[in-house]
This record gives sequence, C-alpha cells and structure tokens, in this order.
Amino acid sequence: MSKDIKVSTSQKGDIAVISIQGDVTAMTGEVIGNAYGSADVSNSPKILLQFDKDCYINSGGLASLIDIASEGRKKQQKIHAYGLSDHFQKIFHMVGLTRCIPIFTSEEAAMKDF
Amino acid sequence: MEQLLELHLPNILGAEKEAIKKAVTIAEKMGFARDRIEDLKTALAEACINAIEHGNKFDQNKKVRVTLAADDNSLQVIVYDEGDGIDPKKIPTKRVRDDGFPCRRGYGVFLISNLMNEFYFEKNSGKGNNVKMLMHLNG
Repeated sequence: MSKDIKVSTSQKGDIAVISIQGDVTAMTGEVIGNAYGSADVSNSPKILLQFDKDCYINSGGLASLIDIASEGRKKQQKIHAYGLSDHFQKIFHMVGLTRCIPIFTSEEAAMKDF
Repeated sequence: MEQLLELHLPNILGAEKEAIKKAVTIAEKMGFARDRIEDLKTALAEACINAIEHGNKFDQNKKVRVTLAADDNSLQVIVYDEGDGIDPKKIPTKRVRDDGFPCRRGYGVFLISNLMNEFYFEKNSGKGNNVKMLMHLNG
C-alpha cells in the first residue's frame, strides 16, 4: 500500500464502505481502485466513500474517482460520499463530480439517501 | 512585488508538496482566510503537476521552479517549467462527456482559473514556459 494513503473496506448492512485517508492522487488512485475492485465492494449495489476530512485530492485523484463513478454507472451502482472538507466539496461541485457521486454532510445522511 | 521565495523542485509528482507547504506559511502571514489558502494549495498543486507532466514531460533531468512574491494586496506565484511549451489554445476545455458524465482529465487549468483571481501563461526568458497566478487579499 502506498505510504501516502490508507484505504480500507467494510460492510454496513447492504452498503459497502470504502474509507479513505491521505492523498488521493494519480499515484495513489490505484489503491482506491483496488479497494473498489475487491469482491465485496464491486458486487455491492450501494457504495459509500468515507473521506477523512484531511484528505488531499488533486486532479489526478479526481480522475481516479471519475473512473470509479464511471465503472459504478456501468454496473448500476449508487455511490455516495461524505466526510470531505468544505474545500473539496467545492471542488467536487466545480468539476461536476457531484452529478455522479453525490456528497453528504454526515454518514447518516449519506446512508439514508440510498 | 517583493520576491519572498524561490524553490527548485525535482520533476517528480509529489514534489509540489514542498512548494505548497512554503506557500501556506507565506499566505498565513499575509492574512489570507483559510478557504483562500485552500484555493491556493489546489491551484499551486495543479500548476506544478502541469509543469511536471505537460511542460517537462516527466523528464527527471528537468526542474520546476516556483517563485512567490507579494505586495500589500496580492500574493503572486509563478511556476516555471523547462519544456517546449504548450499552446494555451490546445488546452482541453471540454469537461463534460456527451453522456453528461464528467471527463476524466483536463481539470488543472480549469481549477487554477476558478480558484485564483488572475492567471497568465507566459514564455520564460530562456527555455520553457510559466504560469503566473495572483491571489488578492480583498478578492
């Protein structure tokens, strides 16, 4: 695993959760992609991306997240996100990523809206 | 403008973090609000990544130079590459695919233009090009 990112997966009911801490970049995107590709996540109809509030995301990282959203759309998965800092919520809106990965202010809100 | 700092970064992804750290210290001293500093961090990161990837084309024999300068109203950040340059007219502007999905790449300049008050592409006096970005204290 890259030293700049920590990614883990878990299950909450029928929702697969990917927890992300650290740097989301072109260099670490593969780690998130691998977590998404793990059997329990890739077959889940509902996926929650749980970002640590101190996550750093650059354009390379946005590309990795768009890849996941694109794959999720093919599989008709719903992908939600929460935990992003105000700044990266703004960036998600700016680049249009919220059209495919809606963001929520809390885990409860993100899970309730599936 | 008074030049405050000059950095010479190795041409590898991740090297931009050193510039970001130094820029944050200067922006905090100048009194920029927290949200503006976050904007600066992202814009500077994207300018460095563009210099590494598109300007210097990942050539590790090349460097990325970053200068920070300020006056009473603004912080100026210039990121220089040593590459052959890119035609600003050829920078992709399409950000949404035909199916309404966001495009995968091409957000660097878009983010810089949306997060900084001013930005310009310029040719270096020697080889390469630079992007000059300005953030205003009252903007």
